[in-house]
Amino acid sequence: MTPGPLLLGAAAGLAAGVVAGRWNARVWLALTLVSTAAALGAAGSLLLGGAIWEFVSTFPIAGQPLHLRLDAVSALFLALVAIVGGAGSVYAHEYWSNQDYPQSAPRGRMWWSALLLSMGGVLLSWNGLHFLIAWELFTVAAFFLITLERQRRDVRAAGWLYLSASHLGTMCLFAFFAALAARTGSWELGPMRERTELAPLFWLALVGFGLKAGMFPLHIWLPSAHANAPSHVSAIMSGVTIKLGIYGLLRTTGWLPLPVAAPWILIGLGAITALFGIAFAFAQSDLKRLLAYCSVENIGIILIGLGGALLAVADGHAVWGRLLLAGALFHVWNHGLFKSLLFFGAGSVLHATGTREMSRLGGLWRAMPWTAALFALGAAAISGLPPLNGFISEWLVYLGLFDAVTGRSPAAWAAMPAAIILGITGALALATFVKAGAMIFLGAPRTAAARHAHECGPWMRGPMLVLAILCVAIALAPVVFWPLVARASGAWQPMWTEMPVPASLFTLGSLQIALAGLALAAGLTLWWRARGAGAPRHLTWDCAYAAPSARMQYSSGSFAGIAGGWFAWLLQPQRQLRRPRGLFPAIATRVERVPETVLELIFTPVATVILQVSTAVRRLQHGRLQYYIAYVVVALAGLGSIVVLGGRS
Amino acid sequence: MNAFAIAFVEFVVRLAGWLVLAPLLPGIINKVKAWVGGRRGPPVLQLYYDLARLWQKGVVLSTLVSPGFVAGPAVAWVAVLGAALLLPLGPIGASLSFHGDVLLLIYLLALARFCMAWAAMETGSAFEGMGAAREVSYAVLAEAALITAVLALSVHSGSVTLVTMLTPAAGAGAVLLAAGLFTVLLAENCRVPFDDPSTHLELTMIHEVMILDHSGPPLAAILHGASMKLLLFAVLLVEAVLPLGGLSRLAAAGALAAGVLVVTVGVGLVESLMARLAFRRVPLLLTTAFLLCLFALLVAWKGGDA
Repeated sequence: MTPGPLLLGAAAGLAAGVVAGRWNARVWLALTLVSTAAALGAAGSLLLGGAIWEFVSTFPIAGQPLHLRLDAVSALFLALVAIVGGAGSVYAHEYWSNQDYPQSAPRGRMWWSALLLSMGGVLLSWNGLHFLIAWELFTVAAFFLITLERQRRDVRAAGWLYLSASHLGTMCLFAFFAALAARTGSWELGPMRERTELAPLFWLALVGFGLKAGMFPLHIWLPSAHANAPSHVSAIMSGVTIKLGIYGLLRTTGWLPLPVAAPWILIGLGAITALFGIAFAFAQSDLKRLLAYCSVENIGIILIGLGGALLAVADGHAVWGRLLLAGALFHVWNHGLFKSLLFFGAGSVLHATGTREMSRLGGLWRAMPWTAALFALGAAAISGLPPLNGFISEWLVYLGLFDAVTGRSPAAWAAMPAAIILGITGALALATFVKAGAMIFLGAPRTAAARHAHECGPWMRGPMLVLAILCVAIALAPVVFWPLVARASGAWQPMWTEMPVPASLFTLGSLQIALAGLALAAGLTLWWRARGAGAPRHLTWDCAYAAPSARMQYSSGSFAGIAGGWFAWLLQPQRQLRRPRGLFPAIATRVERVPETVLELIFTPVATVILQVSTAVRRLQHGRLQYYIAYVVVALAGLGSIVVLGGRS
Repeated sequence: MNAFAIAFVEFVVRLAGWLVLAPLLPGIINKVKAWVGGRRGPPVLQLYYDLARLWQKGVVLSTLVSPGFVAGPAVAWVAVLGAALLLPLGPIGASLSFHGDVLLLIYLLALARFCMAWAAMETGSAFEGMGAAREVSYAVLAEAALITAVLALSVHSGSVTLVTMLTPAAGAGAVLLAAGLFTVLLAENCRVPFDDPSTHLELTMIHEVMILDHSGPPLAAILHGASMKLLLFAVLLVEAVLPLGGLSRLAAAGALAAGVLVVTVGVGLVESLMARLAFRRVPLLLTTAFLLCLFALLVAWKGGDA
């Protein structure tokens, strides 16, 4: 089946969902699932080898003829939108149900459909103006989804921050597309690599798309928006919408000529984003904020891959460039899958306990075995550990960087530091997710809320299971997914159309299967040998202390103490210490908080200065007519004197 | 006998070699420490007796732990064994080798670390939390050093495959690389000066404190895995420094064995002659190791230019 009817069906279904979401949850769910399945089918048929689908109509929208096109790059992202969009709608059926949220649930469904529809529009538009319209629509839809719980002050603050930051980005994109249209004479998009005078426009696109992707230091809106949104919204924001920023960068770099410095800047920004993102993530004690910062890190990894691929294009090194690009594209999928899984897990914890603060949780595995097991899987996957899918994409990126180094091309000077930073990032990601998993699910419950937790229902468990299965599928059969990614690479760089599966990826895939099997077998054998279920149970051996309390456990802050301390110059943690005083000390407290450093120490002061200057200038606007006449006279006199003096010289 | 059967027999011998020889190393280290201290010390085969005894024993579990507490050590053991099997053994090469296998090796060690830290956190003990936090934090610096060392080897040999990376004659940076990798070996295997495997004062430890609650077969898996990891790092260090590729098969095998013995005795001597560092000094030493590897990388880069 050609993608056309499927896409039309998907669009119609989602548009109907915008209306149906208001009044019936079940009808809406059915519509959304059918639409996302259709969109997935369209994307799949294209990635599996179908011809590019194109639709041109002379019927103008906003004065421009409609031009839609689905190629392999769009299809790769469309597949992700469809999978996470479908999974999230099922999840929301229980997580944000009519019973729990009678006010906001219908609104949430409506905006969910609108978000999916407009993201599809962004991916299919082949016209700059329509791209901008769809971009703006999806930004606004995401704003209303973030602020579903708008009676809470911090949710509103996060929403406004998101909206204003996004519009800063949109402004850059407006400038970018308008300048592009002005210089080419048309809003139509497409390859124009020979027009070298367009190269400087890349910087506008980098700011606009980079802001949406959450690139450091433009990530300021991301942590609070992703943390305060409902969890299914956080999942699609972190898993999918920030990837549209990557999509924009892929398109820009694929179509336009680039400044010489662009690949170097991109790979450098990627490395900084990865390292700083994970440093902030490690120091967080709020689970969803941790996951949000971790998204920043993963965007960094994708940018390293993309920047490296651009270096390869510039130098004409197809072999390792392909590996880097394939790694970046695989990571787009992988991160979309496991980050959504983790946010769904976080939502399940929040649903069960009412808190995101990891130091108030603990021991949840007993009450929530499904969530715990799936979260652990996602945690291992996002740490880039074999035999899971995160390792596949990170291995490809590493391999590309190493090949660039051994090839001794000039790109090695970027690849060497990038590889080392990637290694540090990987180790920190591991530490971060050991901490997150352990604080929430292991040990003893730290509060009553954690003691009375309950497992989530089948509607929330099902989507998590599906995402976990997809993660495992990519992990164990990367060669099956390679041709799909290879097609997208070919669409990005026409010279790279023939990308056979690397032999080493085939070996790696087999080894991943063997490793998974052996790990399972070893785990079961040891559990059986230890007679796990029947083994005698005793208190944890705490240096022979017989009455341990749950509060004595290592907390999130103490776990992050050592490595977090190395990044204190970056994190600027705020500490308040009240030492115990006197012979019978009653109170001693220590409060430690990691602020939104970049926002609070850089952006807010700058914004405050701008606001002060604007307030000062506003004094001129007081509404007294005689002063306005005086302004006019002064201005006229001034202009006149310039004319007179200028005429003489 | 066809080629497949030969490969199979070779694989089994290699597997048995790793499994059987690894527990020798801690025994040798302890013997060296005893000699230097003027004691007779435990027999070299002590760890074998311990493992046999532990495997027979029952298990006591904490009331808090999930099945992950037992599965963690099992997966970690598999991961370390897998990493060991990727490593070529001088003259007989690797049983399986592919472009980029060195990265799999590094990440298998990371998988083992994840599982051990996870299992430690299962108990809810503050001591084990402390150990896990130290383990994963210091590993950040150790991993940076290890990646840099691997980069140096890659640059020197122009390859990302372990077999070809480890065969050529070591370049001018061999001494730097040896010093860096030896420090990483000490840190990753929790030896003095990073950790003191002979104390039982929990506050001062990394590895030992993470396994306080393990007993019976899972503890046996942990101890055996730790000894395999030590052997793995020793073999990696020796092969990175000695030009085994240029020697005849017998000489290469002898050089490899002698090199591993020297490294092991070296660990024992360091342990006898040095005290454990204060914890705040640990990052400094690891950063030094990273810098040594970085200089080795630069030397390898310049060496290739000449």
